[in-house]
Amino acid sequence: MSLAGFTVDVVREKGFATEEMTLNMGPQHPSTHGVLRFVVKADGEVMREAIPDVGYLHRSIEKIAEKVGYHGFMPYTDRVDYVAAMPCNQGWAMVCEKLAGIAVPRRGEYCRVIAVELCRIVSHLLAVGSMTMDIGAYTPFTHALREREYINDLLEELCGARLTFNYMRIGGVAWDLPPGFAEKVLAFLDRFEPLIDEYNALISYNKIYVERLAHVAVISAADAIDYNLTGPNLRGSGVKFDVRKDLPYSVYAELDFEVPVGTGEAGTVGDCFDRYMVRIREMRESCRILRQCLAQLPPGPVLAKVPRKFKPPPGDASVRVESARGDMGWYCVSDGSEYPYRVKIRTGSFTATAIIDKVSRGLMIADLVAVIASLDLVAPEIDR
Amino acid sequence: MRELVLSLTAVGGLLAGVPYELAAALVMLLFGALVVFVFVLPVAGITSWVERRVWARIQSRVGPNRVGPQGFLQWLADGLKNLLKEDLIPAAADRPLFALAPYLVVAGFIATFVAIPFGSRLIIADLDIGILYITAVTGLVVVGVLMAGWASNNKWSLLGGIRSAAQIVSYEIPAGLSVFPVVLLTGTLSTQGIIQAQGWQPWRWFLFANPFTFAAFFVFFVAALAEGNRTPFDLPEAESELVAGFCTEYSGMRYLLFFLAEWGNLYVIGALVTTLFLGGWRVPHVTDHVVARTLLEFGVFFLKAYFFVFIAMWVRATLPRVRVDQLTALCWKYLVPIALVNLVGTALWMTLVPAAAHRPVAIAMTLAGAGIVVLFLARVRHHLRHARLQPSDYYLSPII
Amino acid sequence: MGYFGNIREAVATIFEGMAVTFSHFVRRPYTVQYPDRIPMRIQDTLPFRYRGILEVDLEICTGCLACERACPIDCIVIDAVKDKQTRQMMLNRFDIDIAKCMYCGLCSEPCPTGAIHHTPEFEGADYSLESMLRRFVREPVPAYKPKKGPETDPRITPLLDRGLRYVDDFAKPGAAGGEAESA
Repeated sequence: MSLAGFTVDVVREKGFATEEMTLNMGPQHPSTHGVLRFVVKADGEVMREAIPDVGYLHRSIEKIAEKVGYHGFMPYTDRVDYVAAMPCNQGWAMVCEKLAGIAVPRRGEYCRVIAVELCRIVSHLLAVGSMTMDIGAYTPFTHALREREYINDLLEELCGARLTFNYMRIGGVAWDLPPGFAEKVLAFLDRFEPLIDEYNALISYNKIYVERLAHVAVISAADAIDYNLTGPNLRGSGVKFDVRKDLPYSVYAELDFEVPVGTGEAGTVGDCFDRYMVRIREMRESCRILRQCLAQLPPGPVLAKVPRKFKPPPGDASVRVESARGDMGWYCVSDGSEYPYRVKIRTGSFTATAIIDKVSRGLMIADLVAVIASLDLVAPEIDR
Repeated sequence: MRELVLSLTAVGGLLAGVPYELAAALVMLLFGALVVFVFVLPVAGITSWVERRVWARIQSRVGPNRVGPQGFLQWLADGLKNLLKEDLIPAAADRPLFALAPYLVVAGFIATFVAIPFGSRLIIADLDIGILYITAVTGLVVVGVLMAGWASNNKWSLLGGIRSAAQIVSYEIPAGLSVFPVVLLTGTLSTQGIIQAQGWQPWRWFLFANPFTFAAFFVFFVAALAEGNRTPFDLPEAESELVAGFCTEYSGMRYLLFFLAEWGNLYVIGALVTTLFLGGWRVPHVTDHVVARTLLEFGVFFLKAYFFVFIAMWVRATLPRVRVDQLTALCWKYLVPIALVNLVGTALWMTLVPAAAHRPVAIAMTLAGAGIVVLFLARVRHHLRHARLQPSDYYLSPII
Repeated sequence: MGYFGNIREAVATIFEGMAVTFSHFVRRPYTVQYPDRIPMRIQDTLPFRYRGILEVDLEICTGCLACERACPIDCIVIDAVKDKQTRQMMLNRFDIDIAKCMYCGLCSEPCPTGAIHHTPEFEGADYSLESMLRRFVREPVPAYKPKKGPETDPRITPLLDRGLRYVDDFAKPGAAGGEAESA
């Protein structure tokens, strides 16, 4: 793909003729989160434009859905966002259930919430870990991944896989919690919550780190809504919107948790530090939700009866779930056959890519890395 | 050294009949080669192994532990691998400059070893301008890095080279200014002279002599880290932004030479800090035997210098990177004024404070330093307890 | 913030961060030094539900082709024909391409006997692409016919028990919850 139409602007300032430098960042680069390419036009260190070039990870997942059918599409939803795969599973299961009018048993819903919140912690750990690594601190990344390994072990016991879970099915979940699972999760939470404090002491409040992120790439609340940002990106700009609280689905209405919002504690509301701190706080809230779920787990079945040849009535349905990267929209059109007519997935990272150009004018190249990391872009979500 | 050359050129010696200057030059050259090949290069290589093991423990990992006992030969394996690699020079790169740049960087770093003392009698050349010579000759590294950045014909390398030039040139000022309080206290620039003005007891080190030299120590250490392109100032080779900065296009041995210079420079930083602030090779008078005392001095100096290498590695594992404008702001707005205050303060100290008060102040400063260490260990204990570790989570041995 | 406040905050937070990293020197590294410095084989430490490389127990395969239909990526190829004379279902071919397989587990769910199941094996890397196609049928074998009552053949019983234990681990619609007693 060629990006034609770029001209080099020769700027005359005080008698000096200067040229802008056009740099190519990616698609293979140590800091772009996945294969993502940026064409950066910079005047020395200061950027004038940063144009994203997406599509290196496009796998036609939405088209594949039309070939494999409703049940068979579930493992593919893991790959839509492999960093946080459970909410994607849940989105697809919910849209199929809405099409066919299937009710999920309560224990199944609780199992789903447990899986999704564990996945949210996993995703945020990776997000904050790679953000600190992009800023230059190598240790917090390994600590975050070490904690992630504990959760991967838990999820491996639950469903057999560490990254692409395929845990949920249309109508519930595929396996009930194994014996002893609740104790293991509680032991992990007891271990993990003090480590968030240690993480904060190590890096979150470190002066150099705060100086790198405060006042950088401030996204106002109006801009965040205009550009369709979701999740921690939106909440970091001060907008208190969380699909789990404002459009409750599953059993979130029965759970008690806060929605952390950016307050500009180190800089301005909506800068990179706010988005980072929202993720750290969301991890704590997820721990809270997990404890409540394990305490309130009802007995009963985890899977509703769904025919093997799943043929929902013709029509369409759309569902919004709160993935780790925000409001993930699933839309499915059914024509009455075993195969969906059209599936559309709307992900948070795709819209976040659009705001990078606006927000990075006037920033330095080092800040571009901080911006990309703070918006928590993952290339598979952008390209699907 | 002088006696050695005189004994060699005397009648019946090895170099009898050779003029004194020539013999002295030959002996110096021999010692220089000995120091470089037996000490500097192995220490730089072993520092890479130590750094990887230290980093790994901080990061809950193991580090290299397969090649040789506990991975000790990893650096030899890395060197051999790099020697065997294809020598790639980009087609559009400036060939002579591209090839010359690593050697300038290495030359700038090795040339400092002329004036670095290893013991009371172990120094290649006890220059009267020792510290000034060291500070000047490390400037050769800037030329090498700029050449590497420019000759690579790569915009990212160019950015890295320019950042590095700005960084090293800026941080020469606070580094130099922090050396001056020590020079004021001793009255000489010679490294051996500075060490001889200190004692082996901590309260006779210049670190604890007065609050201004205490602050000068920190300013010097930070500025020296910036000169050596170490985190938090490793912008020129910022991996996540510029791939590898000015050495992106380099591969094989040329690439390794840059890193050899960086690791070796860590030792130079440690040696300079030890010389200026920590009493160098001064040891208590336990033996009269020359060889034993020389070995003891060498060991003490090496351990003190290597302690600072360890601290530099530890800092690199902990702190994130500063941005280029923050780097220059830190230098010019914070370090230079503080260094100037230290300089003026030391001068005032020397003239206004009576000599009788020097020793009590030094002892008080030593106690304050010990207090800081105790406070630090208390915080470490707090973090260990807060993490609620099981007994099986502890592992104290470095052998894995 | 102020000039001296900046200095003070920088020193304090760096001090704290260095204390945290120093505390890691006495902690055990998390690394598992696979494959040679581990107490037991990793495959024995994996949980029961681990979705490793697929395997088929042909003695209990009924030839129902449910796994082939369920696979979303078409990595299972089965050739099962009913022999006209003996009225017996014969399995001529059962190939699983483990390079194509995405280890989702959708094939082992509908299996009536648990013949096709995931194993804890994950070390399947090889230099040749042909070895990625696992052929489970060497010469045509008859498919398994489940008996009306409990299975009596001593060769088949252990395989069937293990297969059914695997299949029973999947959630059944309307069944009681696994943690119901302890919840």
